[in-house]
Amino acid sequence: MNTFLIHFAIAAYAVTWAIGKLNWFDDSAAMTILVFLVAFTFLWLSSILYDRNYFRKIPKVLGLFFFFLKELIMANLKIAYDIITPRYFMNPSIIALPLKASTDLEISLLANMLTLTPGSLSVDVSEDRKELYVHLLYADDEKVESIKKELKDGFEKRILAITR
Amino acid sequence: MDIDLEFVKEIISSAFILAGVFFMLVASIGLLRLPDFYTRMSAITKGATLGMGMIVIGIGVYFNDTEIMLKILAILFFTLITSPVAAHAITRTAIYKKVPLWKKTDLKEFQNYLQKRELDKDEVEDQLQKNSKRL
Amino acid sequence: MNIFDTTLLIAFFVLGVCLLLAAIRFAMGPSLLDRITAFDLIVANVIGIIVIYSKLTRDFELIDVALILSLFGFLGSISFTYYMLRRNN
Repeated sequence: MNTFLIHFAIAAYAVTWAIGKLNWFDDSAAMTILVFLVAFTFLWLSSILYDRNYFRKIPKVLGLFFFFLKELIMANLKIAYDIITPRYFMNPSIIALPLKASTDLEISLLANMLTLTPGSLSVDVSEDRKELYVHLLYADDEKVESIKKELKDGFEKRILAITR
Repeated sequence: MDIDLEFVKEIISSAFILAGVFFMLVASIGLLRLPDFYTRMSAITKGATLGMGMIVIGIGVYFNDTEIMLKILAILFFTLITSPVAAHAITRTAIYKKVPLWKKTDLKEFQNYLQKRELDKDEVEDQLQKNSKRL
Repeated sequence: MNIFDTTLLIAFFVLGVCLLLAAIRFAMGPSLLDRITAFDLIVANVIGIIVIYSKLTRDFELIDVALILSLFGFLGSISFTYYMLRRNN
């Protein structure tokens, strides 16, 4: 985390330097993002020398981000289809998702991501923090177990790989 | 070959804005049509977040200016952080206030929690009253 | 009038319709919580409208307004739910 903050600051400083001192480019957003990404990539590659852990984690964070975007768009298309067509295909249910995540950060990340993705809405955490109650839109009785497994493999596994 | 960059930019931006407006419209129709509070809630959070995000990104692509890009990234960051938290708070309040669920909802695994809530209710209310007196 | 301005006008119109639909739910919502949800959607809608309006009028300072609104809309719904939890029946 510290390494990330330092790298972020250095890359941001490189961008302002390139704009102000060198007059490399005009003030367009595309060039700014490009310069920032190039600087950040070089810093990330250099971290293999002093912070192996950080070097391994950045690709996982990117993977989680793109997985999240994909799920967000898929969920929206599914719900949009259901809202526009006159019949309801939904079969809502509230399930108890057993949690492997234990710290506050992990649980809140998982709950927030579940709220934004596949037809699910996190309701509450049980008192002993072992279960997360999730309101699902598409949960047929026989499919509940496979949906639980999907959620655990999809989000929880990726989040735990980053935080631990 | 000569590609008009302005034109390409406008096309990308229009595509983003139209997609965003579509998701926003679907969310609004869903808000009116869906049968109960919880299904509405879970359709709205996703639809509004994605729709608004896409509109804002589209405008950002069109302006292509560093200062505006930073502001737009800040808007995206704040919505992505705050909208699920708000949804979570509202849903929990709804469960606590016993807003009725749709009749087709399957509550098998939730029974446990509801019973506990029932037992704890007096306790929670005592606590709330104490807090409000203290403030 | 090029393609982009036409797109923006269409978007403006459709967002207005969305605002109207949310307002209907706001007026008839059976519980206070339904109204809070509708309010949430209205805030998201208004942010979109402001951003598009800032392009149409070339008044870039309006984007700051959208930025502030994205923070304060959240505070509004949170404080409403807090009030509901605290209120005695």
